[in-house]
Amino acid sequence: MNPILSVEGVTAGYGRVTVLHDISLEAGRFGNVGLFGPNGHGKTTLLRAISGLLQPKSGRILFDGQDIVGHSARAIVGAGLIHVPQGNRLFPDLSIADCMALGAYSPRARPHEAENREKVVRLFPKLAERWRQRVRTLSGGERQMVSIGTALMSHPRLLILDEPTLGLAPKIKDELCASVMDISRGGVPLIVVEQDIEFLLELTQQLYLVNHGAVATEIKPGESLDHGEIMSMYFGH
Amino acid sequence: MSALAEILFGGLFQGSLYAMMAVGLALVWTTIGVFNFSHGVFMMLGAYIAWQLVELGLPAMIAFPIAVVVMAGVGWILQASVVRPLIGRPNIVLVVVITTLAAGSLIENGALTIWGPRSKQIPALIAGNTTIGGVGVSLHQIAIIVITPLILAALWMFLNRTRLGLALRAVAQNEDASHLVGLNVTALYGLAFAIAASLAGLAGIFMGGYRFMSPVMGSDPLLKALIVVVFGGISSISGPIFAAYLIGFFEAACSYYFGLYWTPALLFGVLILTLMVRPEGIFASRSRGLA
Ligand SMILES: Nc1ncnc2c1ncn2[C@@H]1O[C@H](COP(=O)(O)OP(=O)(O)OP(=O)(O)O)[C@@H](O)[C@H]1O
Ligand SMILES: [Mg+2]
Repeated sequence: MNPILSVEGVTAGYGRVTVLHDISLEAGRFGNVGLFGPNGHGKTTLLRAISGLLQPKSGRILFDGQDIVGHSARAIVGAGLIHVPQGNRLFPDLSIADCMALGAYSPRARPHEAENREKVVRLFPKLAERWRQRVRTLSGGERQMVSIGTALMSHPRLLILDEPTLGLAPKIKDELCASVMDISRGGVPLIVVEQDIEFLLELTQQLYLVNHGAVATEIKPGESLDHGEIMSMYFGH
Repeated sequence: MSALAEILFGGLFQGSLYAMMAVGLALVWTTIGVFNFSHGVFMMLGAYIAWQLVELGLPAMIAFPIAVVVMAGVGWILQASVVRPLIGRPNIVLVVVITTLAAGSLIENGALTIWGPRSKQIPALIAGNTTIGGVGVSLHQIAIIVITPLILAALWMFLNRTRLGLALRAVAQNEDASHLVGLNVTALYGLAFAIAASLAGLAGIFMGGYRFMSPVMGSDPLLKALIVVVFGGISSISGPIFAAYLIGFFEAACSYYFGLYWTPALLFGVLILTLMVRPEGIFASRSRGLA
């Protein structure tokens, strides 16, 4: 299978600080992709470059074979590459219903709005109970559901999640994991950034360890790893 | 009876003008997070464009809508030229105060050059006078009192009942998240400025219909709109609308009982007290967002 996304030699950063150094990786060839690595080593920065929030200094990002570097975030959303950002602030004073309507803003997603809304409600029945409630008054877990729900409303062809379980209790984490698994089974390939390795091992088939803005190690399916080995990668050899 | 009628009428009338001005200022603040100091100049320009179109022989009822639409374009262009290039800079609020002040003074001097310093007047919305409750009022003022709430209600409906309005409210709250649902953030910024400039232009047309116009006619209304917005809270558009009418009634009552001379001092006194007790404004919640 061709990769749905390939990042080729991307260098990016903020101002004069370079965070990503010639990073390359592929997603969609062997199922879902997980990214992990120490804090502050550029995972979020990579996702921002992919979704057009940040312009890379060099390199190519191919989505479905087409170079999307230089495309606006709107065009990238319009192509079906949907990014759920880290630490979700979302739209604090909008209701869940408003967020869902915004998720379906792009012309590509609009015709599927009703069908996707049903999907979201089936996946996260809790949201239906609080449909008119403002996002700021929701719990962390519910807010994460709204973020993912909003992304589903955008009719994703590739869904990117940045630390979806950040700050969630173990029980909520497991529920969320099951929901995300459902989405994946529904045919949407995933790229997931997570600190929780169990969560990643459950959801993804291919792992990348991102270290100092580059891929330090790639773990393909079959090369299964145990928790200890990953931990030792985290903390250096 | 006639005292009450006078205060009520004066309050409604001033409140309408203040609301029309302040709501645009608040709209720009809530969506883009900047204060537009050329807002008063928008008001002036709207009035002068309307005057020019009437001079050219267009009937007022055609000239006025055209002027309002032209002002939307002016707002868009101003945003694209002196606001958008600065977005993302540190100190954006202060920098935009300066760039919009500069652009405003350029436009003001342009108006002076084109139209000259001589005072002008545009036709009233409706000519004639009447008496209500023993108070003589012009039909023009009554028209303003009736039209303004309708327009503000329409704006509220637009923001709260349409998807485009929803997008504007969203940009106000989280720019990155707006990009990630595919909103055209720059266009929405332009739209916020365009709407604000149109409303200011309309306020100018209202004002030019009962008072003489001059190229500096917008500076006092800008100051008043700033007071209204600070008083009502800059975090929403409903806060400034209520505040505009409140201040309108307050001024009307003050000038009735204490005279015009004391009114500004009393107003500032109340403003300062309010800000000491509620720095975020009387109708504000703590966050930025349109509602
Ligand atoms: N807006 C910004 N401006 C300047 N520097 C930034 C900005 N955002 C991130 N950085 C820096 O870029 C580096 C990489 O940050 P990034 O958020 O990509 O890391 P991360 O791997 O996602 O970390 P975490 O696991 O904590 O989310 C950090 O050193 C961070 O301080
Ligand atoms: Mg991160």
